Amino acid sequence: QEYQFTFQSVDPAGNPNFGIQKAWTERVEEMSGGRLAIELLPVGSVVEYNETQDAVGAGILDGHITDVSYFSGKDPAFGLIANPIGAWSAPDEMFRFINYGGGYELMNKLEEPYGLKFIGATTTGLEGFVSKRALNGVDDLKGLKVRAPEGLIQEVFAAAGAVPVNLPYSEVYTALDKGVIDAADSTVFSTNHQQGLHKVAENPVYPGFHSMPLVEVSMNLEKWNALPADLQAILTVSVRDFAQDAVAILSMNDLKAFAEATADPNITVHNWSAEERAKFRTIAMDQWAKVAARSDNAQNVYEALTTYLSSQGMLK
Amino acid sequence: MPLPPDQSPLPNSAQISAPAQEHLPQAGWLGWVITRIARLFAIGIIVAMVVLVIEIFLRYVFNSPTIWAHETTTFLSAVTFIFGGLFCVARNSHIRVVLLYDIVGPRTRRVLDVLISIACLLASLFFAWAAWLMVKKAMFRPDGSFFLETSGSAWNSPSPALLKIFLLVVMVAMSVQFLILTFNYMRGPLPQKRLDDV
Amino acid sequence: MFDLLDFGLNLKALGIEWGTLVMFALLVGLLLTGTPLAMVTLLVALIFAIGWFGPMAVPLITSRVYSFVSSFVFISVPMFVLMAAILDRSGIARDLFDAMKLVGGQLRGGVAVQTIFVAVILAAMSGIIGGEIVLLGLVALPQMLRLGYNRRLAIGVVCAGGSLGTMVPPSIVLIIYGLTANVSVGDLFTAAFVPGFMLAGLYIAYILFRSYLDPNAAPPPPVDRTPLREHLPLLRGLVLPMLVVFVVLGSIYGGIASVTEASAIGVAGVIVSTILRREFSFSMLLDAAMHTLATVGMIMWIGIGASALVGVYNLMGGIRFISQLIAGVSDNPTVIILFMMAVLFILGMFLDWVGIALLTMPIFVPIIKDLGYDPVWFGVLFAMNMQVSFLTPPFGPAAFYLKSVTPPDISLGEIFRSLVPFICLQVIAVGLLVMFPALAMH
Ligand code: NA
Ligand code: NA
Repeated sequence: QEYQFTFQSVDPAGNPNFGIQKAWTERVEEMSGGRLAIELLPVGSVVEYNETQDAVGAGILDGHITDVSYFSGKDPAFGLIANPIGAWSAPDEMFRFINYGGGYELMNKLEEPYGLKFIGATTTGLEGFVSKRALNGVDDLKGLKVRAPEGLIQEVFAAAGAVPVNLPYSEVYTALDKGVIDAADSTVFSTNHQQGLHKVAENPVYPGFHSMPLVEVSMNLEKWNALPADLQAILTVSVRDFAQDAVAILSMNDLKAFAEATADPNITVHNWSAEERAKFRTIAMDQWAKVAARSDNAQNVYEALTTYLSSQGMLK
Repeated sequence: MPLPPDQSPLPNSAQISAPAQEHLPQAGWLGWVITRIARLFAIGIIVAMVVLVIEIFLRYVFNSPTIWAHETTTFLSAVTFIFGGLFCVARNSHIRVVLLYDIVGPRTRRVLDVLISIACLLASLFFAWAAWLMVKKAMFRPDGSFFLETSGSAWNSPSPALLKIFLLVVMVAMSVQFLILTFNYMRGPLPQKRLDDV
Repeated sequence: MFDLLDFGLNLKALGIEWGTLVMFALLVGLLLTGTPLAMVTLLVALIFAIGWFGPMAVPLITSRVYSFVSSFVFISVPMFVLMAAILDRSGIARDLFDAMKLVGGQLRGGVAVQTIFVAVILAAMSGIIGGEIVLLGLVALPQMLRLGYNRRLAIGVVCAGGSLGTMVPPSIVLIIYGLTANVSVGDLFTAAFVPGFMLAGLYIAYILFRSYLDPNAAPPPPVDRTPLREHLPLLRGLVLPMLVVFVVLGSIYGGIASVTEASAIGVAGVIVSTILRREFSFSMLLDAAMHTLATVGMIMWIGIGASALVGVYNLMGGIRFISQLIAGVSDNPTVIILFMMAVLFILGMFLDWVGIALLTMPIFVPIIKDLGYDPVWFGVLFAMNMQVSFLTPPFGPAAFYLKSVTPPDISLGEIFRSLVPFICLQVIAVGLLVMFPALAMH
């Protein structure tokens, strides 16, 4: 091998996402005729999930596959572009913005100063919402104690009348089980289902209404610049394919789990009407401007997003 | 004949095991300072407890959890953990295995003390340098403008930056402490067996 | 500048196999010089970071230090230690054990057996270990010694019992396993119930066995036949501790507080108890907090060092190395399982459980699934193996936690010697779980 890289994932080893990411690294090796090998390490192996940006920038890790929201604390712009709640109702809408609507250049402009090269975007798709309480619309969110991670999402829930609770992910299961919290922003429906979350929170909402994270594949800028053009192209193009893979496989898993959950008499899967989804989007989009005011970069993200959305007739 | 168990003279463990708050004589003036400001961090633990209890109360009784409680307690306990390590250096209370240390003669023991302090000094210097690299990223944007890294939560406190800065300060203090220890071990009296460990 | 800092050290040339051996040898070597334990692991992490990757990799260590100390779940460690320090400064512990002696009645070794019960209750209140061992070490150990128990037996009971926190639900080990292997945490908790109680049962059987066989192991049961009425005041000693336990467990299982938060309720409960007993003073509380600071400084820095070392080892290719080790060991599933147990045992001597989970889970879990075994059963088996890792020398966290609060005349060597029978019991429990997977019912 001419190039041997170590990437760290945002997912644990047995998670389906990790398997899909691993398949991508194997494909890259094959496509490059064995010249480029990527070892993918599970979350937390080398540094914690929210420290990978620094580690990649410093060249300790060569690259990472991670939810951009985790760097909201570095610059609110990351929080806004990672999860502009209300902007996308399907992965393809986000991919169009990133790949052809200016998002790619924007991400690179944001990450370059940190020493990172944004290779491409993927996502888990719309996440499933895990809840103990039956939720059929925005009004049901009033007083709902919901665990949410860092980023825009906490503020959106607060604006919608819910009560965000800060809990680490390792406490979500027990806290839901015992009723310390009523609901949680977790991950996709199928993974939530496999981890038994629907057994302790029997009223999931699917498809989710709240979150579709931008998961970035990026690497150290200097190491990227040292790569020959063909390997750069292999990485860029293969990430675009990997994104399709991730979305397709996860939504197939989701549909299967959805059928299982529907058949389970203890679980009631709720689906929100188009009006309720639109109401939640309106609340969410009101929060964008607030975040935009927090940094110049966030303002740039805000403008790029709204310009794109209105050009597509998606902003009403 | 053994005493009846209930009247055995074994003192309450508080008297034997409570770590004396005093610093090691060799730790010098810095040891004195560290053990004096330790009280502040000890109070931090109690504050962390109170904050958590308030959070539980507000959430359960009034259904209105705070956005600051968990971040505050995490910060307080993180600061406690980091400072606790320095505190133990000044008091020489870090756990060590002294199997060989107690077998060798007092001269070799002194050599060991000096060498261990030098190794720890070098390590702390490296960590202080690495912490500085980390702090630079947490205090300044890439363009050089001042910006404290925040938590990204709804409260969005600058606790990550503050914690990284605190880690740097402690690593620098620890380096100085090991430097003082090295000097004092070199010129001080020959060390005794430790006995208190293995 | 970096060339200057390089010292011409190139450990990468060793390769991962020799690198691993040199790392373990260096750990033991430095340990024996009398270097503080926390610094031993940090130094080895530093040497390998610089020697393998160069000075630019050192921030990886400070990054891990930062992440380790800012983990929310660790808040329960100072809380448990503070609880212990306050109990230690009040008469609550003494009264509790006097009452327990009565409840234990005519049973030889009764108080030690009850200490295991207390440990199981504490385990149900906490998801990690550390705090409980310190608590039992401050509270139960001096009392058992006061009542005339054999020192080694008492030490073993405290360390082994205090480690049950990750075997009895709630358990962070099982939660992390569940996330890693993508299996239900609820199933893991249910499956861990019987094996957890089996392990506690083995400890109890051993205590009784020792007590009845060896007259020096436990004090003889009280011979006086004073009427129960006169004993009743003594039983009051049970009331406040039971109330505190009730409030803490009630807040967890009643959905009032998360497991970590509940530890703060425990502290508040103990403070209220001292106020009711008129033993409270602010100077006492401050003194207890100072003690807590010193204790967590010791035990958390051991964890910090271990966490840093694991980060460096993973970057060196530790995961790849473990997977090479396991590849082609045998086609026989039993041999594969036994080999995995051996790997877990050896890693358990040197690393902490988070590191072991990070290193082995990505490799072991897929193999287990391929072989057709139940990943939930394997999760419980993993947690059981981690029980062993807490006690085994040279890096036995349980021994270190206890050492941080024992009188100086109890040495680390004595603690490790005291743990030998309990390690054997844990190995037996691992064996039983391998032979009878049905024990992990869910
Ligand atoms: Na537990
Ligand atoms: Na061990």
